[in-house]
Amino acid sequence: MSESIKEQLESTFKAVVITDSEEARIGVNVKKDQVLAVLSFLKDRRFDHLALVSCVDWIEEKEFELVYVLTCYMQANEEHTDQESLHLIVKTRISRQSPQFKTITDIFPNAEPYEREIHELFGVKFVGHKRLTPLFLERDYDIPPFRKDFDTRKYVKDLFDNIPSIEIEKK
Amino acid sequence: MRELELYFGPQHLGMVGNFSITLNVEGDRILEAKANPGYLHRGFEKLMEYRTWIQNFPMVCRINVVEPDSMEMIYAMAVEKLASIEVPERAHYVRSIYLELARVASHLFGLWAYANMLGFDTVAQWAMYHRDLILDLFEELTGGRVYHIYIWPGGVRRDFPPGFEDKIVKILHVIGGCVPDYDATFFNNRLFYERAKEIGKINQEEAKQWGATGQTLRATGMKFDIRKVEPYAAYDKVDWEVPTREDGDAYSRVWVIRDEMIESVHMIFKLLDAMPEGPVYKRIPNPFKWKVPKGEAYVRCESSRGELGLYLVSNGGDKPYRVHFRTPSYPNGLIILERLLENASIADVGNIMISLYVVAPEIDR
Repeated sequence: MSESIKEQLESTFKAVVITDSEEARIGVNVKKDQVLAVLSFLKDRRFDHLALVSCVDWIEEKEFELVYVLTCYMQANEEHTDQESLHLIVKTRISRQSPQFKTITDIFPNAEPYEREIHELFGVKFVGHKRLTPLFLERDYDIPPFRKDFDTRKYVKDLFDNIPSIEIEKK
Repeated sequence: MRELELYFGPQHLGMVGNFSITLNVEGDRILEAKANPGYLHRGFEKLMEYRTWIQNFPMVCRINVVEPDSMEMIYAMAVEKLASIEVPERAHYVRSIYLELARVASHLFGLWAYANMLGFDTVAQWAMYHRDLILDLFEELTGGRVYHIYIWPGGVRRDFPPGFEDKIVKILHVIGGCVPDYDATFFNNRLFYERAKEIGKINQEEAKQWGATGQTLRATGMKFDIRKVEPYAAYDKVDWEVPTREDGDAYSRVWVIRDEMIESVHMIFKLLDAMPEGPVYKRIPNPFKWKVPKGEAYVRCESSRGELGLYLVSNGGDKPYRVHFRTPSYPNGLIILERLLENASIADVGNIMISLYVVAPEIDR
């Protein structure tokens, strides 16, 4: 099953690189302008469950990597096939300088909170997303906190060490 | 009628957990609901980048307070996959039994929350008591009641102590013996039927579109369970069934939870019978100097709430480079809950939310 998906992907899209395929997984590297086409292509070929949208900060290469994990729902209610045990990791790289990318909420509506989260924690702007409001955080940070150059320990030290300690009066 | 904004949670009697929903209401009809998480955001995924592979275990189990064991399992599975560690045969069985016990405990906790919300206080107390019996088992096995850190890369920390199998059987018989009582007072109760039937109804197409897994999907009739479609541990070694219902409402979801508990108990008996002898642990390199090979892995398992996934990236160092958990409550609480609350009444908010099995710490992480 994984062989046929691989062949279909390679024959339809020129710039797709299949990085690795093991028993249960296929890794696909895609140029950023083809991501939406590849995702809707895969959705039509039964990869209809977007399990996760993630982002990795490759700071040395000055790039963000957007990661889409696709799996399959069952077609029949009763019996499962081999394809449900597969998962597909679609990856693309975008520049770290003023990062932005197209939203995929038109293809997978359930990407909405994942993209909100990445927008908040990594500062990637998703063009066309209708609701890029804060999700978890309560204040603004100079650097979005999940980027590699945000030092959690330094931030905590700067924030809490500046609070004056309570002097206890001695009798 | 005038439109009002109503804050439901985090300090609200009908709210379980640190989660809030902003409701736009007209009379007692909800026009629009906006989930508002973040009260428990501890930034675990970022903190894990600062700690070694083994130091992260006390963190992963705290991501889901109600069921920490699947979290340990998924993290151990991902590390094993990156470092290509084989797990001994007996460890697979021990892990499965342990995870099924955790599933029963978690479902009993969920039943407590649901029954409490509907006003079935007696049933809620029973469920809490029976969960406590399982926590006693965990305490004997691991030393901890809620957070265990028992599953480890390469197996489990230690084998069952002598006579432990008999204790499991004894306690499961105590719990199983009370199923008729639960049925008579709660599951077959007319009040529960009237209160939960046709509430928070979702059809299969919508469930798939919004990324539902677990009970939310199984209550619409699909036998989708990661333990079946991509078996891990020893779940493919014994025979078991995936319980489903057809209607997709709160009533069906709670019935699926009940059936799953019973199926888990049967599964534990079968696993105990089939369990081979042998080691339960394979030595890993010195944890202080352990460097996991460069690579990435996505692994998934079926937690008590649905598909739990972990995307783990290593750059060849002694710490993870990126950790991202895909938790089942995330789509349930942030997408499906918002959609199902539209046009519902205020009295059903808690009902819909708890029947979707939303746990706040899992969403915020």
